[in-house]
Amino acid sequence: MSSGPQTLSRRIPRPRWSVARQVAAYLFISPAGFFLLAFSFIAIVISFFLSFSDWSPIKENWGMVGFDNYATAFGSWRFWNSFKNTAEFVAISVPAITLSALGLALIGNHARKLRSVFRTLFFIPTITPGVVVALIWIWMFRLDGGVNEVLSKVGIDGPNWLLDSSKALLAIIIMTVWAAVGYYMVIFMAGLADIPQVYYDAAKVDGANRWRTFWNITLPLLRNSVIFVVITLVIGSWQVFTQMFIMTRGGPANATESVQWEIFRNAFMSFDMGVAAAMSWILFVVIFVFTAVQLKIFISRQIY
Amino acid sequence: MAVLERLTTAEIESAARKSRRRYLLTNSGWMVLVYAVLVIIALATFLPYLWMVMNSFKTEANFYKDPYGLIPRDWSLKSYLGAVGYGRMGVFVRNSFMYSSVVLMVQLFFNSLAAYAFARIEFRGRNVMFLMVLATMMLPGAVTLIPTYVLVYAVGMLDSFAGVVVPSFAGAFGIFLLRQFFLNIPTELEDAAHIDGAGFFRVYWQIIVPLAKPALITLGIFIVLSEWQSFIWPLVVLQDIDKYPITVGLALLRDRNQDFWPQILAGSVVGTVPLVLLFVLTQKYIIGGITLSGLKG
Repeated sequence: MSSGPQTLSRRIPRPRWSVARQVAAYLFISPAGFFLLAFSFIAIVISFFLSFSDWSPIKENWGMVGFDNYATAFGSWRFWNSFKNTAEFVAISVPAITLSALGLALIGNHARKLRSVFRTLFFIPTITPGVVVALIWIWMFRLDGGVNEVLSKVGIDGPNWLLDSSKALLAIIIMTVWAAVGYYMVIFMAGLADIPQVYYDAAKVDGANRWRTFWNITLPLLRNSVIFVVITLVIGSWQVFTQMFIMTRGGPANATESVQWEIFRNAFMSFDMGVAAAMSWILFVVIFVFTAVQLKIFISRQIY
Repeated sequence: MAVLERLTTAEIESAARKSRRRYLLTNSGWMVLVYAVLVIIALATFLPYLWMVMNSFKTEANFYKDPYGLIPRDWSLKSYLGAVGYGRMGVFVRNSFMYSSVVLMVQLFFNSLAAYAFARIEFRGRNVMFLMVLATMMLPGAVTLIPTYVLVYAVGMLDSFAGVVVPSFAGAFGIFLLRQFFLNIPTELEDAAHIDGAGFFRVYWQIIVPLAKPALITLGIFIVLSEWQSFIWPLVVLQDIDKYPITVGLALLRDRNQDFWPQILAGSVVGTVPLVLLFVLTQKYIIGGITLSGLKG
């Protein structure tokens, strides 16, 4: 603010309505500020205390219980199991979505004439409520459903996806990739459009082939989009819930219970709010660490 | 250069034609591949929707006889009548519409007010406060879900219309997006207005808001999309079926009505069509907005 030379700031008198300006600014900010303060900052504080208490809306007496809730969370095999499932979900769906969205954006960019038609079509799953997507795919994944019909064309006998505990999570991942690809494709297309044509012309003059051009020009210059996509996806995927709620209710045999599902189950089905709050803090730490590590990797690795 | 000079123009032209033909040939092979992949993925995207729409027009008997047939034998609106009557889809769509429009209006107003202050008014603590706003974007919804429930419980708004919408009354993303847009509006007009004695609110309301219409529309679409799709919060906060939005309503219909899928599909169509219409009408803004947020993130 006071970066100007001293003499200048001395010559121009401060406006007389400086106090009024402060008041005005706070008045402008306060409506949004109030709700952000309540539902973000105060919420964190509440959640923190909650995770050390046994408060519950259906209980008369409550008190602080120290680390009991964290001990309960860490001692629960269902919680560990949900972590394992969610980690699997993240580990498969994030690369799958990123790579297919990137591939689709590269391919789609070549289709000059129909580019916007394809983009519109691929985007429709993004604007479909997740509940509706999940409801449709319950039928796609039946034994005689659309997925197995396609598989049978290439001679594979498909499983009963959602009732098979070794396949249910994979089914949810497949559906999630299907639903998310369009959105990230649009982001990659925007990133591709930002790469100056000059680089490609230069590469052509130097006789670089498609692969080299992609590897040495497109990918390095697309780095910001890739960082954004991967981090957004990882944060979102750790909190996966709707798909499980609609398609499998965490089953069969707990195979599709996600961390968020466990939090939901503890908080709103057993009303163990404190345990659920503790679990949400553990999840938060995991998401935070993942994000920090990714940022570090992406920023330290100089590709070009 | 010496070589070039020795060639006649005719020779150069024929060589160029030849290389162009070769380029087009390999390129058209490439294009066939490109379109083949795109068409296959387009079909994979489109077929589940086609299935949903077509089966929503089947009768129950016909659906269970042939659940994967894409053309109904006896076109019927019975599922839609059932979805609206027994399934109360009309009520749920109306609720979703109300929730979305209230959140839309309040958020646009509150966010733009704050964004204006951050972009235009110099005040003590501006940078710190803006960083705090941005910091709230880092909070995963999983962490705020339970304390939000506790807060709404504490002020006695569980199971109420207000309880659904109030936690979404302000959004850091919206403030950030609008501030970026406001910063790019030239200040001359405002300076003139200030010299003529206009106060901050007048400048905000009569200059900034009209000029920022594209950004407000973009943000508005994002708000409606996310509010219409929201599931876990209304699921948690509401007990009374008559207050359910379409997403929770569909989940309920499925629970109550395991056997009558055409009705569930009809409800799904009813719950999706408003968003598809919104998307088709405002595609330019959505794609533009994603581009903006994607690059800024």
